[in-house]
Amino acid sequence: MSDLYSETDQQPPRSGLLLLQALILGLFCLFAIRLWYLQIHKGEEYALKARDNQLRQESIFSPRGLIRDRNGELLAVNEPAYALSIIREDCPDIDRLIHQIAMWTGKDYFALKTLYNKNKKRVKPFEPLIVIPDLTYNQLALIDTNKVRWPGLEIQFRPRRLYRYGTLFAHVLGYVAEANEEEMGKQPELALGDNVGKQGIEYMLEDRMRGIKGRMQYEVDVTGRRLQERIIKHPRAGHEISLSLDLGLQKLAMDWLSEEAGGVAVMDADTGQLWALATAPSYNSNDFSSGLTPEQWAALRDNPLHPMQNRVIQSVYPPGSIFKHVVAGAGLHYGMLDPNETVHCGGAIKLGRSIFRCWRRGGHGKVNLEKALVQSCDVYFYKMGKKLTVDRMSEFAKAVGFGQKTGIRLPHEKSGNIPTREWKRKRFGESWQGGDNLNMAIGQGFTLVTPLQVVRFFGGVLNGGKLLKPLLLKDEKTVVQAEIPLKPYQLGLIKRALIQTVQDDHGTCRRIRTKDVVVGGKTGTAQVVRLTDELKKLKDDQIPYRFRDHAWMAAIAEKDGRRFAIAVLVEHGLHGGSGAGPIVKAVIDYLFYGKVTPKPEERKAKARAARALSYKPKKKKVKTNAN
Amino acid sequence: MPIDRRLLLYINWPLFGLALILFLMGVLNLYSASGTRLEEGMNMAPYYHRQLLWGFMGVFAMVLFMFFDYRHLKTLAWPMFWTTVCFLIAVFLVGKTIYGARRWLDLGFMNFQPSEMAKIAVLLVGARILSKEREPLDFIRLGYVLGVGLILAGLIIKQPDLGSGLSIIMILGGMILFRGVTPRVFKTALVAIPALLPLSWFFLHDYQKQRIMTFLDPTTDPLGAGYHIIQSEIAIGSGGFWGKGFLQGTQSQLRFLPERHTDFAVAVFGEEWGFVGTMILLSLFCIFLYQMLVIARDARGLFGSYLAAGVFFYFFWQILINTGMVLGLMPVVGIPLPFISYGGSATLVNFCLVGLVLNVSMRRFLFKQA
Repeated sequence: MSDLYSETDQQPPRSGLLLLQALILGLFCLFAIRLWYLQIHKGEEYALKARDNQLRQESIFSPRGLIRDRNGELLAVNEPAYALSIIREDCPDIDRLIHQIAMWTGKDYFALKTLYNKNKKRVKPFEPLIVIPDLTYNQLALIDTNKVRWPGLEIQFRPRRLYRYGTLFAHVLGYVAEANEEEMGKQPELALGDNVGKQGIEYMLEDRMRGIKGRMQYEVDVTGRRLQERIIKHPRAGHEISLSLDLGLQKLAMDWLSEEAGGVAVMDADTGQLWALATAPSYNSNDFSSGLTPEQWAALRDNPLHPMQNRVIQSVYPPGSIFKHVVAGAGLHYGMLDPNETVHCGGAIKLGRSIFRCWRRGGHGKVNLEKALVQSCDVYFYKMGKKLTVDRMSEFAKAVGFGQKTGIRLPHEKSGNIPTREWKRKRFGESWQGGDNLNMAIGQGFTLVTPLQVVRFFGGVLNGGKLLKPLLLKDEKTVVQAEIPLKPYQLGLIKRALIQTVQDDHGTCRRIRTKDVVVGGKTGTAQVVRLTDELKKLKDDQIPYRFRDHAWMAAIAEKDGRRFAIAVLVEHGLHGGSGAGPIVKAVIDYLFYGKVTPKPEERKAKARAARALSYKPKKKKVKTNAN
Repeated sequence: MPIDRRLLLYINWPLFGLALILFLMGVLNLYSASGTRLEEGMNMAPYYHRQLLWGFMGVFAMVLFMFFDYRHLKTLAWPMFWTTVCFLIAVFLVGKTIYGARRWLDLGFMNFQPSEMAKIAVLLVGARILSKEREPLDFIRLGYVLGVGLILAGLIIKQPDLGSGLSIIMILGGMILFRGVTPRVFKTALVAIPALLPLSWFFLHDYQKQRIMTFLDPTTDPLGAGYHIIQSEIAIGSGGFWGKGFLQGTQSQLRFLPERHTDFAVAVFGEEWGFVGTMILLSLFCIFLYQMLVIARDARGLFGSYLAAGVFFYFFWQILINTGMVLGLMPVVGIPLPFISYGGSATLVNFCLVGLVLNVSMRRFLFKQA
């Protein structure tokens, strides 16, 4: 207690007091002046503004750029869609409104509520929060007539992407879908509910395709009802894009691939422009525009044929015999191959204790380079491979573009694989064997390529040695990525062999012969698994689908100065000639004669049957339901 | 100890009355601001109900704070300080996170904000240290006082609650100025503070920088941070001379004005009561502040004087910053207006502090009888 009163009886200094009093007074005056300025001097003006304050702003969505094919046919357009949104500030009872919306649309109340709660923090005051991005016309009619009774409810117009040929171009165009958190973080102009390109060209050219949003101002009355609208910033549509693809050809290719899994790439050998990039099975780009349902997504994801996979650029296959041209090129380049020298093919070659067979049991007899290529003699190339070894083969294969991405303007391209000694050691911990050379020389073993790499290489053989970047846009400049390191006469030899394969009566590509068109080609069979002897005895039709070989055909075609390279791969198509050949033939007919040859029905039925055989039906869960 | 009749005689009744009047005006304003609308499925009306409840508790607390001898607080100052520090640390350990900040302790029946308690603690400790001697503060003593304040402010700013943290520093700063510093300290501060201010820019959060930038030009972000300022000015300005009348403010009724029940409560008031009403409100605050200065001046003994001065600054900064912000004279920072803005702990603390000052005023002549 003593401490309490021990304090001296002194008074605090008074000097500061006067200053503080003056400070209060000064501040009071300052506030008074400001108030006078706001409320009296500018009172009228603010009163007007307060009335204007019934003015609100809203984004006007900009349509994405149109996409056309090389002839100006529209592929991707925008159609009107209506979104249902909530303006929180106007809404007297959010819960009731969401209940009502759930009743109107048949959506789950709790799902809507969760969505609303998640998004409400991310929407500015008086900005509409989109609850249903895409109303059906029935819903639109129903809600529009009842809207007046629900303040805070709004129907917004916004363009929705429509792909006129939803499945034809899905793997090239990709699709658009709602921007996610990450994308919105990167691009501040994106708002909740905006669609952005997620795949394909839509993704790669997002900046060009997306327009610039406009702004609209509108007046509301006390209940939030709209009175007048005025555009204060016009929206700007995204840039239009013309693809190098040809609608007719793409359609044809997709038609021929239908019921099969595979890919078709057609490239203009002088410009690098792709006229067709078809891959099957496909999906519908339109399904994504207004959001996939979980069932749709599950169906896509669980489909054993992986319809989302772009088989031309994302799938890698052993090249089979079409790789023989690369090996021949390597032999010529390193001067280890005399094109006139002949080799005896007796149907097989022995290496150590292993026997490497030619596809023709009886052998080809005496073969030189051309004959070996035309008749696809394996023994000739076994010997070539032994001579060249993996080092030269892989060096040359890489020089002509294999084992690396082509740089096409599509996401997630695969580079394939060209094996080397180190690669094998790293990958398998084993050293390179002599037999590996032999396997590699006929395109089996560890070598993996994409159909796009194949078309680029054969395009190069056709155009005199230029490896061109595959282009998808019509206005893109041709890019020479590399030159095939061969002298013109050496390249000529390979090209001649390709043509002879079609022209020669013993050639494997006789069926793609086309009148007045210089056509060359090579079939290939890519082993999926090494067939057991048991399976080998079976007829083609009896081999289970998933064990059947992939069928390749690479082709070149030239007429009147127009030159094209074509690559076709049919998964489990058994033989290049019969599996892929008719497709190549149809493509050539279209390119030079405008002829559309539809795929014969029986072929479709066969493919369907073959696949159906191989599916193991999933066990259905038996419901243990008492009633 | 029977209550000395003279104690009642010396109560500063104007201050007592002003606190009540201001509070009631606040409740009235809150009633208007919450309107009758439902929001987010929840009626906003409970805001003024709850405010009234807190007010009753506050008045009770105010009377409690009047009737013990404030000098006892001198011995309580340090324990109070350490308790507060403990609470603030507890906030980090078990605090409740609301709007991304850990500021609240859940006491079961209510959420309690220890940063409010810190404001009382800093007053007591400040007054205690400062009243020890009379000489102007030199660097060493200044460092001691400031260090004590920085412990509290630092813990609060970490929550993060920059507004409350800074007000602790400002309250203490005001008290120090009131007490006086040596000319050397004064001159150094005169140079150092403006030099250090730009440095503090780097410690601000992005959104805080944004607020300052938009304050300089609110039109750059009319729908974001600038929105508050623009809407607030429109609301007040459109009130005109007489105002639109109670419950008639379209800006607040139309929900254009955000945070109209807390930081921007005055804007609602300005719209509905006009220039006349706002001037009356400001005058009341002016007299309210002036009374506290008078009490600080007439207090018996340094402790009481500094205590009253501290409370003065507590209110002074809040009124200055909040009004300045609402009138568009200062950047938007989340500081409420005493008695007018909604807020439970704040209302309680406001009344307690007024009670404390009244306590000082009651006992200014007590020594002569003792």
